[in-house]
Amino acid sequence: MIITILSVLLIGAGTVFFLGAAVGLVRFPDFYTRTHAAGKGDTLSSLLVILGYCVYQLKDFESFGESWPILLVILKLLGISVFILITSPTSTHALMDAGWEDKVEPTIQEGHPNHLNDDSGKF
Amino acid sequence: MLSKVFATLAVVITGSILLYGVTDFPAFGDPKSPASAGVPGSESVSQYFITESYGDTKVPNLVTSVLADYRGYDTMFETVVIFAAGMAIFAILRVVGDEKDSRKKRVEENTFTNGDHSRIIVGTTCRIVVPVIQLFALYVIAHGHHSPGGGFQGGVILGASFIILALSDHLNAALRRFSEKSYTIIAVVGILIYAAFGVVAQLLGANFLDYGVLQPLLFTDGPEMARSHSMLGVEIGVAFTVTAIMFAIYANLSTRGLLRNGL
Repeated sequence: MIITILSVLLIGAGTVFFLGAAVGLVRFPDFYTRTHAAGKGDTLSSLLVILGYCVYQLKDFESFGESWPILLVILKLLGISVFILITSPTSTHALMDAGWEDKVEPTIQEGHPNHLNDDSGKF
Repeated sequence: MLSKVFATLAVVITGSILLYGVTDFPAFGDPKSPASAGVPGSESVSQYFITESYGDTKVPNLVTSVLADYRGYDTMFETVVIFAAGMAIFAILRVVGDEKDSRKKRVEENTFTNGDHSRIIVGTTCRIVVPVIQLFALYVIAHGHHSPGGGFQGGVILGASFIILALSDHLNAALRRFSEKSYTIIAVVGILIYAAFGVVAQLLGANFLDYGVLQPLLFTDGPEMARSHSMLGVEIGVAFTVTAIMFAIYANLSTRGLLRNGL
């Protein structure tokens, strides 16, 4: 029972972050902030959902001798989460970097300092 | 303009003939359709596959046993189609000659990319991830007759790992490990492996690709296990061709056939 509640909480938190990522993707003003919202939200929510699956797998766990296949499933899920943890931020970075190289203009509000041209030579 | 009118006319006519043909199809999942129930007087093919394929081949994955054994002839020529696609790309796009110039350019590029700080993150991640992807690809190929997967899927994953290598660093980094000569040879060898299983079966007196007679060569208990092992061999052949052609298509398309500079 506790395990079910815990997994539901984790998966629910994951979906909340998914929703946040989706809202950010639609509502944020320019390319960089949108990519930022999608990248961060997607990574964290995927990890939370997969962690919820891992916890849910433990529901039928009785003894190590009998239910070791469950541990195998959890190991595979954790492998997927490590893969997401490495690759998802990297792809977000590559996307942002490509945008920057392609000179996509960020939105800067009136009255805020514009540092874009300060170090343009370095990039 | 006139050619466009004729093209539209041809598309519309063929499309309406095809749509007209659809109306004669049995409903989706209809148990009385010939594919599911068979024609009167003979047993249905799908029923036979479902009930007998494990006994015939000792392969738990029904899809693989149909793909690589019952319809092995079809799959062999599917592999040939992929090979032909790769050769067509090669014939249309590949530009040969001017070797001196290309060698000079390669040196310049390598010094340039090594100092590019923005590639450190992507490059490091790919260095970590590519071996895992390749190991997983080998697992998909080798486990294709027990779980979803097989030569086509595993070959695509393996080819994608080389494409990731080329994308993250530089095309030359991938070409150094998987050169044009080796991928062309591997693409041919894959088909030859597949055809060899068929020809050896013929030499032993059975039909082309009838794996059961390979039993004495594979040292198995019965013709069923010989079929299972031959399916693995055939899948490896498919994986060879698909891997090589996947990477060949990427390398030729991304450089317009020059095989240098890259993206």
